[in-house]
Amino acid sequence: MDALSNLMMGFGEILTPFNIAIIFAAGLIGTVVGALPGLGPSAGIALMLPLTFGMPEASGLCLLTGVYMGTMYGGRITSILINAPGDAPAIITALEGYPMMQQGRGAMALGISAFSSFIGGLFGLLVLIFAAPIIASYAIYLGPPEYFLLMATGLGTVMLLAGDQIAKAFLVTCLGVLVSTFGSDYVSGQIRFAFVPELIEGIDFVAIIIGLYGLGEVFYNLEKRVKLNLGKPGFRMKEFIPGKAELSEAAAPTLRGSLLGTLIGIVPGAGATVATFLDYALEKRLSKKPETFGTGNIAGLAGPEATNNAAVPGSLIPLITLGIPGSGGTAIMLGALIMFGMRPGPLLMTTSGDIVWAMIAGLVLANVFLLASNVLLIPVFVNLLRAVQGNLANVVIALCVVGAFSLAYSPFNIWIMLIFGVVGYLFKKNDYPTGPFILAVVLAPLAENYFRQSIMLGQGSAGIFLDRPISLTILIVMALIVVLSVVSQIRKSRKMRLAAAEGE
Amino acid sequence: MTFLSKAAGIAAVSLALVGAPALAEGFPDRPMEFVAGYGPGGGHDTMLRTMARLMEQENIVDVPINVVNKEGGSSAVAMGYLNARKESPYYLMSITSSHIATPLTSNIGLNYADFTPIARIGIDPELLVVNTAKGYESLADLKAEGRMLNVGGTATGSIEHIVTMQLAEKTGMELNFIPFQGDGEVVTALLSNQIDFAITNPGPVSDYLSSDKFKALAISTEERIDSLPDVPTFSEQGADIKISLFRGLTAAPGISDEERDALIAMVTKLFETEAWQKEYIEPNAVVPLVVTGQEFTDYLAETEAVYRETLGDLGMLGN
Repeated sequence: MDALSNLMMGFGEILTPFNIAIIFAAGLIGTVVGALPGLGPSAGIALMLPLTFGMPEASGLCLLTGVYMGTMYGGRITSILINAPGDAPAIITALEGYPMMQQGRGAMALGISAFSSFIGGLFGLLVLIFAAPIIASYAIYLGPPEYFLLMATGLGTVMLLAGDQIAKAFLVTCLGVLVSTFGSDYVSGQIRFAFVPELIEGIDFVAIIIGLYGLGEVFYNLEKRVKLNLGKPGFRMKEFIPGKAELSEAAAPTLRGSLLGTLIGIVPGAGATVATFLDYALEKRLSKKPETFGTGNIAGLAGPEATNNAAVPGSLIPLITLGIPGSGGTAIMLGALIMFGMRPGPLLMTTSGDIVWAMIAGLVLANVFLLASNVLLIPVFVNLLRAVQGNLANVVIALCVVGAFSLAYSPFNIWIMLIFGVVGYLFKKNDYPTGPFILAVVLAPLAENYFRQSIMLGQGSAGIFLDRPISLTILIVMALIVVLSVVSQIRKSRKMRLAAAEGE
Repeated sequence: MTFLSKAAGIAAVSLALVGAPALAEGFPDRPMEFVAGYGPGGGHDTMLRTMARLMEQENIVDVPINVVNKEGGSSAVAMGYLNARKESPYYLMSITSSHIATPLTSNIGLNYADFTPIARIGIDPELLVVNTAKGYESLADLKAEGRMLNVGGTATGSIEHIVTMQLAEKTGMELNFIPFQGDGEVVTALLSNQIDFAITNPGPVSDYLSSDKFKALAISTEERIDSLPDVPTFSEQGADIKISLFRGLTAAPGISDEERDALIAMVTKLFETEAWQKEYIEPNAVVPLVVTGQEFTDYLAETEAVYRETLGDLGMLGN
């Protein structure tokens, strides 16, 4: 077992008091950064970067990967507690976690998501340790046509997020696509709808998320005078450590989420956000009670939460084996590797293998620390929320404003957030789903660009989608899913007609 | 009113005068941001991150430097970002030929003259790179394919695009240019044979060249360069293409002359260090031809004229 002995060597490197302290601190910092709306993995890693100068390489990299992993744990906290996702991969967590919070099961939602985060991270790490080079060498064969189909599948899940309001979902999806077209288009370099220079960059979707969910919720609650059901103050373990019933409900979704997150995390250019949406759609499809999704379903919470944590080690795979970053966070990691004087590329494992293995060992340790600290801190978070409940609206607004400002250190995004706060309020008041909207904002530009690149690669012919084996397979699977769901719909309606006929 | 505003004006002027000599010494007095117009792992990103690290290491600045990636729109996104930071001397943006070309090909309402040019760092040649597995040995081999070839590069209207179009024009090859977002994506596409060849700077592919996964078939310099002695020039192979990328730095619009000089002093100090030569110039095969300030502005004006003509010939000028 070559990988195991390398990993042991890595552990030998990092099991010093200094490195253990660094990894522990990194996890905590990451959790806090991830929990703040607006600050996600990219921001967290970028903030820590200057601190790593002058550290030994292995310690510095452990700090960065620890923060990266920590933000994925942290993102779920504000999603669940105040419905303000800390970053894009945590949007889905809010869809199921916040309803649980409203029902007084917030601590349990935090507990379940902490465990599924841990399993997701662990699964991704195992793949990273044992299969990184093999998997990476295949992952590069996915190109623009496959990415496009992946994004199209993601957009297709709109209908699953829609529930029974297909027309409304379709309308907000179109609105989301429209919002996503603002700014410069990199395929042609043309600028669209840039009424003010700031819009040349397009609208930062994190500002939209903060406004839509965080601020929109505050406006709505102010009008309805909603009071969160926080239960009695308590620090009892059984409130937040999932019991047998919860665990058995969460186990299968967690494993599926881990697998999906790792796979999609590896593909450069896809990322954790798409993975969480796909996983949520998958869980809803497999669920026996799909109607409970959106009202605090444990499978819908555990699966995507495992997914976004599994995507972290997943996205490290192309980075350390090929020097290709698969996400915003790993993109900054790439810069860090360069700054440490290492050359990310196919030779990295040969030239700097010891440091890379130390980093991987550090991640394993960070994941364990993060589970422990996140579970133990749940009572702190919940009781903190209880303490500020009287002024919760003010606290949330402050967090949202600071978060929006910190995106580009400019007040422009505060305006964007305010606008989408009002939009979010109107959506909620008139019962329009927000999920399809944000999904379109995030995925539509990616789908557009990959589609155009595909057509260009095909030299003007759409046949490229059929010529490539992987893309053809995805197309066939998509077609099968459509056919099967149509057939099952027809069967269902026939059964209902029969039942109605018998009733007469 | 008039008295007050006059007084304020005088106060501002005297403050500026008093502030001026202190500026160079104490600058920068708050964290700086380096802006890359392309994705991480690419030429811009690597350069800025190396700069940030060495500035810290060589004690040229004692404030943190953050590198941010504002990719997209053939650097239009980054230009918009920097333009929104008018009069702030704490931002430096890496620029290359796209800084000139993008305003010409797209109507973005900004051009190089809106910013404050600081320095040209050097010249970065363009390589024609193929995947070794394909077995191409020369330009003639590519031409012998006799079909339309897919070419990868970053951004429409970029120098990679211009080199591709010139190559098509001068050799009669049928070439189909595909803009990717960042060098990392170009490398992936070439690794997996999704494109037939890539036009790229040496930096992002150097590891792949030294491990024989990729092979460089041509270089866009006048003569072969020392770091890649086995790579023939385009001209040697009968295609007269001699455009190289410049690499430079520009600052936000409307900063004062003192602030501009302080920035020039700061980067010049870096360029004179041995570490900079060893860790950036040499590994990236950059030819270090530094010009600063007004001289750099003039160079940009000349470059723009050349681009206007080339892009016009290629029918790529915007309105």
